[in-house]
Amino acid sequence: MGNVTIAESTTEQALAVKPEGRTRVIAVIMAIVGLLTLLVFGMGSAATAHSTLNFSPINLSNSAPLHLGSLTLTTRWTVVVLALVMIGLGVEVFLRQPKSFVMGRFGVVAVLFLLALLFWAARTPGPSPVSFINLTDILTGSTEVVMVLIFGSLSGVMCERSGVVNIAIEGQYVAGAFFGSMVVSTTHNFFYAAIVGALVGGLLGLLLAFLALRYLVDQIIVGVVIVTMMSSLSSYLNLQVLTPFPQYNTGNLAPNLAIPLLSKIPILGPVLFNQSGFFYLMIVLVALVSFALFKTRYGLHVRAVGEHPHAAATVGISVSRVRYINVVLGGAIAGIGGVAFMASQGQFQPGYTSGLGYIALAAMIFGRWRPSGAVVASMIFGISVFLSYTLVSYDVPVSLYVLQMFPYIITIIVVAGLIGRVRPPGADGVPYRRD
Amino acid sequence: MTEATPVRLHRRVWAQLTSQHPIVVTIFALILGFLVGAIIIMTTTASVLDAWRGIFHNWGAPGHAIKLTFDNVGAAYRTMFTGSVVDPNSLWHSLTTGKNWPVTLTPISETLTYATPLVIVSIGVGIAFQTGIFNIGANGQAVLGGIAGGVVATMVHLPMVIHLPLALLAGVAGGMVAGSVPGILKAFTGAHEVIVTIMLNYVVYAFLLFAVLSTPFQQPGQQNDISRTFDGSAQFPPLFGTASGLRVSYGVLVAAMVVVFAWWFLDRSSLGFDFRVTGANPSAARASGISARSVVVLVFVISGGLAGLAGFVQAASTTHEIDGGFLIGNAGIGFTAITIALLGRNRPMGILWSSLLFAALGVGGRAMQSQTGIPLDLATVIQSVIVLFVATPVLVKEIFRLRAGPVATLKLATQGWGT
Repeated sequence: MGNVTIAESTTEQALAVKPEGRTRVIAVIMAIVGLLTLLVFGMGSAATAHSTLNFSPINLSNSAPLHLGSLTLTTRWTVVVLALVMIGLGVEVFLRQPKSFVMGRFGVVAVLFLLALLFWAARTPGPSPVSFINLTDILTGSTEVVMVLIFGSLSGVMCERSGVVNIAIEGQYVAGAFFGSMVVSTTHNFFYAAIVGALVGGLLGLLLAFLALRYLVDQIIVGVVIVTMMSSLSSYLNLQVLTPFPQYNTGNLAPNLAIPLLSKIPILGPVLFNQSGFFYLMIVLVALVSFALFKTRYGLHVRAVGEHPHAAATVGISVSRVRYINVVLGGAIAGIGGVAFMASQGQFQPGYTSGLGYIALAAMIFGRWRPSGAVVASMIFGISVFLSYTLVSYDVPVSLYVLQMFPYIITIIVVAGLIGRVRPPGADGVPYRRD
Repeated sequence: MTEATPVRLHRRVWAQLTSQHPIVVTIFALILGFLVGAIIIMTTTASVLDAWRGIFHNWGAPGHAIKLTFDNVGAAYRTMFTGSVVDPNSLWHSLTTGKNWPVTLTPISETLTYATPLVIVSIGVGIAFQTGIFNIGANGQAVLGGIAGGVVATMVHLPMVIHLPLALLAGVAGGMVAGSVPGILKAFTGAHEVIVTIMLNYVVYAFLLFAVLSTPFQQPGQQNDISRTFDGSAQFPPLFGTASGLRVSYGVLVAAMVVVFAWWFLDRSSLGFDFRVTGANPSAARASGISARSVVVLVFVISGGLAGLAGFVQAASTTHEIDGGFLIGNAGIGFTAITIALLGRNRPMGILWSSLLFAALGVGGRAMQSQTGIPLDLATVIQSVIVLFVATPVLVKEIFRLRAGPVATLKLATQGWGT
């Protein structure tokens, strides 16, 4: 153990970079993106062009919010305002060099960029077949992605706060989605599906914990192998079982549960108060995990184990017990995330999580290993994932495939810009041996 | 003492076989992998499950159910073997009559063809592992190498002596570009290579679709996501001539050269020594003046270059074109490479044998799918189970009650998210 820490810290020292220089680079990137937005989408659109915002959701299931009329804005000046905010954030970061939330500002710029692109794409007269932007639908659509990411990054927080890296989130998503779809198809009950998803995810967490804690296998390798195993196993079972028996994969969309009155609020109502049970469960879990980690005795133990397992062991905390519990619970949360994803897509398809598990992991780093931070980070990533897919229907002159790269590129930039500024739990990923 | 040796020889062999020797552990891991695969087939095949359900209805049924179970598993593994190594009946026929050799040799030719890019890409991943770097991005690097090599192979027209090497170099360069991104980011910002490479994989997949649907690269007259066909001068010719019908190509020579290069590089070159020192003991490497930063960048460039080479070799020796699903389907070549490198303990010869094994599993898996209907993905499941056990020698030791012997621990040093 001693050796490992020393070795690790020296490589990290060898690679250590002063974050100050990078802040300026990021600030310049932000300002350039803003400037390009200003020139290309702002001044590039005709002075007479308008963009229309709608607020009433197309799908009025359960409970329709109060009707709001549509809002028509001049495309050029709306985009110019968005671009000026982007440039302003860049300049502010360059001059003030704030200590925290630099990458948060970067994420905001990325989302603003996509919004500006959307405004520009939906302008009339313009080439797009869709001539309006439905803000409420965009927000509810993003919420589905955000929700899945939050489950995943919460799982990451649970595991990594206790010192175990859970790369297997993607595999837990896949397993949760697969078995969730089978349960929903046979019982038509999403509650059972969530329980089964949690069990399956928890079992995969147990496998990770068993190999990583008892046999000290490299946690990242176990995680990657679990992901490969689950994606190939689900694809095998899909062909071998679900294709001949399609009745096990009819799936369903999770029904929305509208909260009386609150769901009537325009925009916010459909986004926050007319969601599936998974959404409310997620909110409860975020609160629970935050409370448990930072306000309870057990949370103190978890953080002690994640920061300095030997010190924790000295005062009588069982390091491996804490880690087992957290990794299994974390796996269960990610498993529920997989069911939630299935419930927003309708049924299971092999390979359709397309790296969301890894984006969730990046969101956890972005959120500084805190549940609240993970929520904010998941929102930024989720909205950019959803927007880049939405833009496809707007006949944008950029290839659909280039747009699809966008969220992944943002993730890379954020992770690269962030490291050095955030500090992972001290013993994160380091195997613990009782000496 | 000397007289006693012959008597004790079988005991010594037995002692080796029941020890924790790396090869013994690997063999037991293989057994466990196939055992898990068998259990999966038994529990998921509809006809088998129906037979078991039937045992409550008549007395003869249990025997029938057991027989059906073993028939199914047996057929699956038998077709896996005959489809990837050799069909004994066909071999006997060829030996006695001297005819049909192409048919007899097709399975092994397919396995060699399949193994060729796997060897190259896995050696790249193995070199990175030996340096303590986890290159999960080999898949994206291979795809970009395939695209870059493919562009040269389709849009430049030259005699083969120049064209093939040039396209090959373009492939290497493509992989190096994709590899340098995580390398540079890790060296200069500390971004963890696992997240960066996985995200980059998705970027490259999107770029692949963009490329094969763009006019200069897309097959003329096609709406589908497929590239132009490589020029004949940029394809690897079949090793035994076109008339043989065997697909195995001169690409295997490239793979052989890569194995030799990797052995020389890791064991004889000074840069390779720096790499291994960095992987084994970063602080010692630093103390002896090795620049951690340049090692990280170089490892990724070399590893990515090999992956890119593999991508091009794959396209130039089999399909002669690239489609939108190039190397992505079925877990992807780069992910298989991780498991191969682990199984081969990151050594060139180990990787060569593991690649042949995994290629046989893949080719045999395809034969199994077409003949018994059991999906090919089972091969990938078996591979990942094998690797889990290889990575956990102590668990294998406990299951089979092996005695302590030469320790088979797998030295791996991946690092945390960094501060």
